[in-house]
Amino acid sequence: MNHSEQLNLINDAINKTKEQLKPTSVNFIFWGILITLMSLIHYLFPEFIQKTTYSSLIFWTIIPVIGMVLTIVYNIKTGIRMGYETHIGRALKLVWSVFNVAWIVLIIMAFFKKQNPVQDILFLLGVILLISALLIRFKPLIIGGICVIACSVLITLSPHINTLLINAIAAFVGLFVPGLSLYLSKKHV
Amino acid sequence: MFEPLDKLLTNPIRLMVMSVLVKVSGCDFNYLKKITNSTQGNLSIQLKKLAENEYISITKSFENNYPKTKCNITKKGILAFENHFKNLKTYQNLDL
Repeated sequence: MNHSEQLNLINDAINKTKEQLKPTSVNFIFWGILITLMSLIHYLFPEFIQKTTYSSLIFWTIIPVIGMVLTIVYNIKTGIRMGYETHIGRALKLVWSVFNVAWIVLIIMAFFKKQNPVQDILFLLGVILLISALLIRFKPLIIGGICVIACSVLITLSPHINTLLINAIAAFVGLFVPGLSLYLSKKHV
Repeated sequence: MFEPLDKLLTNPIRLMVMSVLVKVSGCDFNYLKKITNSTQGNLSIQLKKLAENEYISITKSFENNYPKTKCNITKKGILAFENHFKNLKTYQNLDL
C-alpha cells in the first residue's frame, strides 16, 4: 500500500465508526414524554398524587427509577448491537449517569427539607443538556438546555408560578423537541 | 531526516483496526471483523500481533454463554498510530 492508500484507509475506518445519535435521541424523547406526562398528571390530579405524605415522593422516585432501568437496558442492548463505544458516547453515558443519581438524591433531600425540588432539578438538567449539546454539537439541544435553565430561573423569580406546569414545559421544550429533531436529523459525530 | 514507517501498521487490517480503536473507548471482535472485512482467523492473527507489541489490549469474557472479545488501544498504541499518521502525511506532502 502506498502512503495515500494508507491515509484513505485510516479516513474510511474513522468515518465508518461514528457515534450513532439516534439511540441517544430516543432517550431524550422517552424522558421528555415521561416527565411531561408525570407533571401534567400531578398538576391535574393533585388530590390523588398528594393523598398521603409519601405518595408524591413515591410517584416522583418509583416511576423515574423504572424509567432509568428501561433506559439502561435499552442503552446496553444498543451498545451490544453497535459493537463499539466512542469517546463521546462514553462521556455522555457518564454525564447522564451522574445526573440520574443526583436527580434521585435531590428529590429525597427536598422531601426531608420540605422544599420543592423542581427548580434545582431543572437547573441541573439544563446544565447537563448544555454539556451534552456541546459534546455532540447540536444547536436545538443547546437551545433546549438554555430554555430549561430559564425555566429554573423563572421559578426562582416568580414564587407563585405553578412549578408542575413549568416542569412539563421544560421537559417538553428541553428534552422532547430536541430529541425529536435529533431523531429526524441524520447527524453523526 | 525521515523516520521509517512502522512496519506493524503498514498491514491494511492492522492499520484499520488501529484507526477504529483510536476513535473508540472499546470495541468488540465482531465489529472489527465487519469493518475490516476479514476472516475470523486472519483478524485473530493480526490482533495477536498488535497485542504482542502492546499496541492493543484484548479482554476475553462470556456474555450469555458466548465468548466475547473486546479490544482497546493502549497508550503505546496511540503514540505509534500518531507517529505513523504524521509520517504518512510527511511522505505524502513530499510526494515520495
